[in-house]
Amino acid sequence: MSRSNYFFFKRPIALFILAMTLILSGGISANKGLEIAKLSDKNNDGYGDSSSSMTMQLINRKGDVVERKLSFKRLEVPEDGDKSIAVFESPRDVKGVAILSYAHKVESDDQWLYLPALKRVKRIASKNKSGPFLGSEFSFEDFSFQEVEKYEYTFIGEEVCKDLICFVIERRPLDPYSGYTKQLVWIDKENYLVQKIYHYDRKSFHLKTQTFEDYRLYKDSYWQPHMIKMINHQNEKSSILMFEDVKLNTGFTDKDFSQNSLRRSR
Amino acid sequence: MTVWRILTITVFFSTVLPGEVIGEYSIDNRYFFNEATQGQDKSHTSFTLSPELFIEEGERIIHIKPKFRKDNKDAERNLFDIQELYLLEIFEDKEIKFGISKEFWGVTETTHRVDIINQTDTSESFDGEDKLGQPMIKFSYESDWGLLDIYTLIGFRERTFAGQDGRLRFGIITDTDNPLYISSAKNKRVDFAIRWSNYYDNFEVALSHFSGTTREPRYIASEKKLNKLSPLYEVIDQSGLEMQYFFGSLALKGEFISRSGQGDRFTAATYGFEYTQVGILHTRLDLGWIIEANHDDRLVSSPTVLGTRLTLNDISDTQILSGLTYNERSEEIGFLLEATRRLGNCCLVSIEGVYFDDINEDNGERKIFQSFKEDDFLRIEFIYYFGE
Repeated sequence: MSRSNYFFFKRPIALFILAMTLILSGGISANKGLEIAKLSDKNNDGYGDSSSSMTMQLINRKGDVVERKLSFKRLEVPEDGDKSIAVFESPRDVKGVAILSYAHKVESDDQWLYLPALKRVKRIASKNKSGPFLGSEFSFEDFSFQEVEKYEYTFIGEEVCKDLICFVIERRPLDPYSGYTKQLVWIDKENYLVQKIYHYDRKSFHLKTQTFEDYRLYKDSYWQPHMIKMINHQNEKSSILMFEDVKLNTGFTDKDFSQNSLRRSR
Repeated sequence: MTVWRILTITVFFSTVLPGEVIGEYSIDNRYFFNEATQGQDKSHTSFTLSPELFIEEGERIIHIKPKFRKDNKDAERNLFDIQELYLLEIFEDKEIKFGISKEFWGVTETTHRVDIINQTDTSESFDGEDKLGQPMIKFSYESDWGLLDIYTLIGFRERTFAGQDGRLRFGIITDTDNPLYISSAKNKRVDFAIRWSNYYDNFEVALSHFSGTTREPRYIASEKKLNKLSPLYEVIDQSGLEMQYFFGSLALKGEFISRSGQGDRFTAATYGFEYTQVGILHTRLDLGWIIEANHDDRLVSSPTVLGTRLTLNDISDTQILSGLTYNERSEEIGFLLEATRRLGNCCLVSIEGVYFDDINEDNGERKIFQSFKEDDFLRIEFIYYFGE
């Protein structure tokens, strides 16, 4: 188990009680928004642990494409956020660079970067999450696990999205270091899967649109999108993230996400 | 001869051994603007090859990475080093590493006080970031109370120095052929080191101790060669403390050491902060600021360093580093500017400029950059990565 659990434990409970009080005294729309978010989040539960290969395509205004490859391992941590390790495979100059993340339900995530050429582990300051990830239109924040507790919700309404009917909810990040002021989230009524997110930047400008495609069901409970697209409306660039070789129950434990395992990643 | 050796080894690596062989070739040119004080050339080119094999099979890792360097001017800069050649066995929360490897300790960005496992390859670059492989047996244990690493270091690696024909060296040549050791075992002495590290929320801490042959020699007049300095490798005990604390985008960092065995016991420290501005001026650019101060009991005064790191967050991962070092007492300045950029999927190019200046030559203080006075340079490095 995380050796610093004690420090993360007390405050989330207090915040949760506070959040519950606010929710109970708040309007029906806040309540409904949160309920939908919770049901949607259940789709992320129960995978236990997983491994996958990720390919990221970065597409510029002219349509030129460059690719990045990463391998990705995840471990579900009950009562807290998930642990993950991403190792870069390409481009070649960053091969072996790895990022270890311990997500937390409310508090900022802990992240460490491993630089194989220097054999050095560097902690990443938590505020830097709003910056672009590997030169893509995704930010570090878009990659981290979007725990329900990290936002406050408002129910907006229902709307047709592609060939589905979706709930539309607005969520506002509680983390002051988030790069977004709000997000509009489309969640389908059938399986409660996130289909689309509009990201609004600090000036409340609709900066990016994220879409989720090719959902596949694992272990009868866990849905994994196999393609995630992010379009940046400001610079007209886009990024596509594709998942391959998704494997569940690979037998990972805490030791596969330890400080030593990060140093071993190359 | 050297070319043949490199070719043979490349062929060996890519055909004889199993697994995926990758590696890098690089060509590096340093152009010095001024005439050298002792007639060395202005332009120096070196070529480096470093193939790498990494095999991971269940709970076992084998890693092999030699490094060859050939310099066209300075023979002391030629190098054959085994950076990695180890077997790592993993047992749940423990691991054992047998063989040659590199291990980094520390948290600061400009000077690494605590880092001591590996010898520095100062002939590669004078920033001290390049290291030589160290033979070792390392035992590592990780638990709720942190990460504990115990090292038995078998044998000693001598520091590399620029030679007669090289630049960026002392006025007097270091006699690398006649190193002096205090230990009767000379470079065969077995050394020990231990390090514990842990983190508590936003606070990270490490304590370490090293007992063995110093990586950082003192120099005495060579008995065998006139006008040369022999490196004197004494046996030291060094305790180290590393700390860093994060809040928001600010990181406070410090490294402290206390060493005995080279004259009087002394302490030395590097401490400061790193602050990152994400998305400056509503762009996707990040700008990092680093200020680090130094203290060293052995010196009358130590420099303070101001560094910036501009990250463009573009497809080519363009990054521009700058570093300004200033010594208040000697009134000397050193300035470094380095830009790196990826080319396609295969290559990386890096351009570095270094400038030394002495604001007040006649202040009667001992000058630290005295020997580098005419060594302002521009370096261009091109790296080609092979294998997938």
